[in-house]
Amino acid sequence: MKKSYTKGAKISNSKGSRKTILNFLKGLLKKGSLDAVLIPMRVPAGDSYAWVLIKDKKLLDDANPIAPIMPVQGANALSSCTKKGKGNLKIAALMRPCEIRAAIELSKLNQVNLESVTLISYDCPGALPMSDYLQDPGEGEKVFDSLLKKRDRDVESVKPVCGICDNFSILPASDLHFGLSADSRDNILLIPNSKKGTGLLNKMDIKPSEDISSWAKNIEELKKVQEKKRKERFEYVKDMVEGFDSLVKTFSACVGCHNCESVCPVCYCRQCYFESETAKPDIESILLKTKNRGSISLPADRIMFHVGRMVHMSLSCVSCGLCTDACPVSIPVAELFSYVGDRTQQTFEYRSGEEKGEPIPMKTYRKEETKGINELVKGAEG
Amino acid sequence: MKPEGKDNFTPKIVGYLCNWCTYAAADMAGSSKLEIAPELTVIKVMCSSRIDFNMVLTTFFNGADGILIGGCHPGDCHYDKGNYYTRRRFALFKDIMKILKLDPERLQLSWISASEGNRYAEVVNSFTEKIKKLGPNPLNGNPYF
Ligand code: SF4
Ligand code: SF4
Ligand code: SF4
Repeated sequence: MKKSYTKGAKISNSKGSRKTILNFLKGLLKKGSLDAVLIPMRVPAGDSYAWVLIKDKKLLDDANPIAPIMPVQGANALSSCTKKGKGNLKIAALMRPCEIRAAIELSKLNQVNLESVTLISYDCPGALPMSDYLQDPGEGEKVFDSLLKKRDRDVESVKPVCGICDNFSILPASDLHFGLSADSRDNILLIPNSKKGTGLLNKMDIKPSEDISSWAKNIEELKKVQEKKRKERFEYVKDMVEGFDSLVKTFSACVGCHNCESVCPVCYCRQCYFESETAKPDIESILLKTKNRGSISLPADRIMFHVGRMVHMSLSCVSCGLCTDACPVSIPVAELFSYVGDRTQQTFEYRSGEEKGEPIPMKTYRKEETKGINELVKGAEG
Repeated sequence: MKPEGKDNFTPKIVGYLCNWCTYAAADMAGSSKLEIAPELTVIKVMCSSRIDFNMVLTTFFNGADGILIGGCHPGDCHYDKGNYYTRRRFALFKDIMKILKLDPERLQLSWISASEGNRYAEVVNSFTEKIKKLGPNPLNGNPYF
C-alpha cells in the first residue's frame, strides 16, 4: 500500500485559484526545480486550448491551468513528449484527474514515461462539452468561471461524464494536489502525495503542516453524491448498451468515422486493428457472410468496431468524455464505454489509472483468479 | 434460403483448439473411433491464448451458432502460462457477451488435455446438443450490422 499523506500547506487564494497555481509553478521554474511545465493555453483565435510545454516562465502568464474544455487529452500530450528518449527534463504536468489516470494507463503500456514527470492534479469542476463551448467561447469562459467559484459540484453545464464523475480529486498517482474546494475559499490546500511532491514543496520552502481532514471529508461527501448520480445515470445507459439490438439502435446514426477511437487516450495502438487491411474483408468473405447470415450492412463491421473497442479498452477507460466530444452525430459514446468499463473493471477487481506499476488486467494473471473471473469461466474443468 | 427452425436445424459450430492438447485429444478421439457430433469445424491454433475477441466476434458475426475453445488444463500450458491469459481473456469475452446479451452459453471454454480423447468427445457432443437446443444464431437475419 502506498503511504497516504495527511498534511497540506494552506496558501492564499486572494488572486484566484488559477493565478495561485501559476505563481507556484513559476516559482519552481525560477528555482530550477523544474525544467518545463506542461499546461493548457488558450489558442490565439480564442476558441480552443492547446497543450504547451513551457520553459520560459514569462509565457506561463498566458497559460490557463484550469481550462474550461478538454480538446486534447493531457495523457496524449504527455505521451508525445515522454515516450521516446531518456527524458532528463524535469517536467510538471498539470492535468485533470481523468487525464492523469489515462497517463497512468499509458505508462503501464510503455506509452508514457513518468520517471522525470511530476503529476499535479486539482479538484476538477468538470469540463464543458466542446459543442457548447464552440457556440460561444466567450460565454463558455464565463460559465466555467462561475463553476470554479462554486463549492458544490454543478453538473448542469458540464459534460455528461463529468456530471457523473466520482474520481475528480486527488489520486494515488498524484504527486501534488491542489485542494480547491478548501474549507474557506480564501485558501487553497497544496497537498504533497509522493516523495516527488514533497521534494518540490521543500524546494519552495513550503511546509505542509496543516491538517487536511476537513477538506478530505468534504471531498468524500461530494464523491458519495457523485457515486449515486453515476449509478442512477447508468440505470438509464444500461438500456442503451445491454442487448445487441439496443446497441445496434444506439449506434444507428454512427457514420463510422472512428473519431471516438482516434481521440481516446487509451486506444494507443499505432494502427487500430479495425483500420488495418486485415480487418477489411475481401469479396469472397463478404459473399460468405451474406450466405451465412442472409444479409450484410456495408461497409462491414461498423458495429463490430464498437464491440471490439469495448473489449480492447473498456478495462482502461477513464471516463474522460473525449469520445463523446468528438462524435459528429452526438452518440453518448463516453457514457456507454464508462458503463461497460465500470462493469469489466469490477470483474477484474481493477480500477483504471489508480496504481502506478500495476499491470493492466490482460497483461497479467493469478493462479487463483478473482471471484468474478472464476464465475465467468465456470465449467471449463468439466 | 430455407428458414431454419429448431427442428431441422444443423448448427454451425467452430472449435478453436490448442495444438498441444485439445487438438491432439480430437485426434485421439478420432483414431479411437469415438462417436463425435459432425457439426464442429475445427481450427487449430498454437495456443488457446492466440484467440483474440475479434476472432470470436468475427465468427459469431459471420453466422456461427456456437464457439468452442479448447486449451490445456491450468498449469499444463506448453508455453507455461498461455492458458492463464486465456482464462482472463475468456472471462472478458463472456462479460462483454453478457452485456450484449449475445447468449454467453454459445461460447464455451474447455480444458481438455492430449490424453482426454473421451472427454473431448463428451464435450463436443454435449456442446452440440446445447447449441441445437439454443437454436440458430439470433444475429443472423439482422441486416443492420
Ligand atoms: S472510451 Fe471515451 S471516455 Fe473512455 S477513455 Fe476513451 S475517450 Fe475517454
Ligand atoms: S480499438 Fe483496439 S485495435 Fe483499435 S486502437 Fe483501440 S485498442 Fe487498438
Ligand atoms: S465518433 Fe461517433 S460516428 Fe464516429 S465512429 Fe465513433 S460513434 Fe461512430
